[in-house]
Amino acid sequence: MANRTPIPTNNSALIAMIADEDTVTGFLMAGVGNVDLRRKTNYLIVDSKTTVKAIEDAFKEFTTREDIAVVLISQYVANMIRFLVDGYNKPVPAILEIPSKDHPYDPAQDSVLSRVKHLFSTESVASGRR
Amino acid sequence: MGLWLEPNSNGRTYCSSLSCNFRNLPQVQLRSRIVDTPISNRRTEMTMERQQREEEKKPQTSENDKDEKVVQFLDSLNDYLTLMDSLSSALRQGWLELASARHSMGSWRINSAILDHKFHSASTTLQLSSPDDSNYNMKQPHFTLRKWESCDDEDFQSKEVKLDEDEVQKNSDDVQVQKERSKTLLVFGALVSPKLRDAQLSFETALETLVDIANRRSVMLSAYDHVREEILGTKQ
Repeated sequence: MANRTPIPTNNSALIAMIADEDTVTGFLMAGVGNVDLRRKTNYLIVDSKTTVKAIEDAFKEFTTREDIAVVLISQYVANMIRFLVDGYNKPVPAILEIPSKDHPYDPAQDSVLSRVKHLFSTESVASGRR
Repeated sequence: MGLWLEPNSNGRTYCSSLSCNFRNLPQVQLRSRIVDTPISNRRTEMTMERQQREEEKKPQTSENDKDEKVVQFLDSLNDYLTLMDSLSSALRQGWLELASARHSMGSWRINSAILDHKFHSASTTLQLSSPDDSNYNMKQPHFTLRKWESCDDEDFQSKEVKLDEDEVQKNSDDVQVQKERSKTLLVFGALVSPKLRDAQLSFETALETLVDIANRRSVMLSAYDHVREEILGTKQ
């Protein structure tokens, strides 16, 4: 079981982002941007020209790097690679689906809530919050 | 209302009835209820009664544990959804302020093309720890946000100060944080719109909310695993 693997501690882990330009710019202003010596960044800006393959590669890279503790991904981007996001079950890095400007957060599509919805009916998680 | 077995100093057990039905019994009948039993037998009976009572309590205790786990899961789920609403509000405010800054400064000054691609470390990072909860077998990650921490080691060492210098240290920390904030905005030019600074603060708030969400997520998944184990265990 994935949760039984030991969780490595880290005093300065990074926050990775896969989101639209405004969201990434905003969080970069908050100081989370990191560029290493090989000019690899901890973020991917998704626009109309970004391919699904590029998003998949970025997701796989961020979830395998040991220096990343949290991956923020816009929910509409996560929907493009839903099979990858739902198939991910490690505790670290934590995958957090965030809203974007044009796509508000939908609890029914959240992969974490989808995992726990088996204890409830599919309607009760989303309906009561609106 | 019923019969109680009570020992007396002679090691004899007797029945003292609390029921009104026995009040009218003649004395002879009441005396016939006094039973002479050896002390060891009486103690064995009391031990067996105590064991029976403890066995009856065990299913209740395990039921309470199950309920506690379910309540913890539901609480963490509720917190997760509430924090998501807060995150949405903080992000909406940040996007609005960013749009206002772009409107006043010009879209050519605020876009992804001018982002810094030179080597630099993140000023805001996470501390990842794994608190060992003795009640559970599984460890869950815990995230702590570390905002605007300089790469300079002297800043970390200087935080261990005497009580008298706390206020001075706090002021210097605030100044350091302001310097880091301004340094980050230098990418957009020396003079930036106040709305851009407001957007920076909104996204910092969103970041703090995200760390709380990450912690709630790990608690929720851990509680879910425990509840699922209980359900599977019950079915077997």
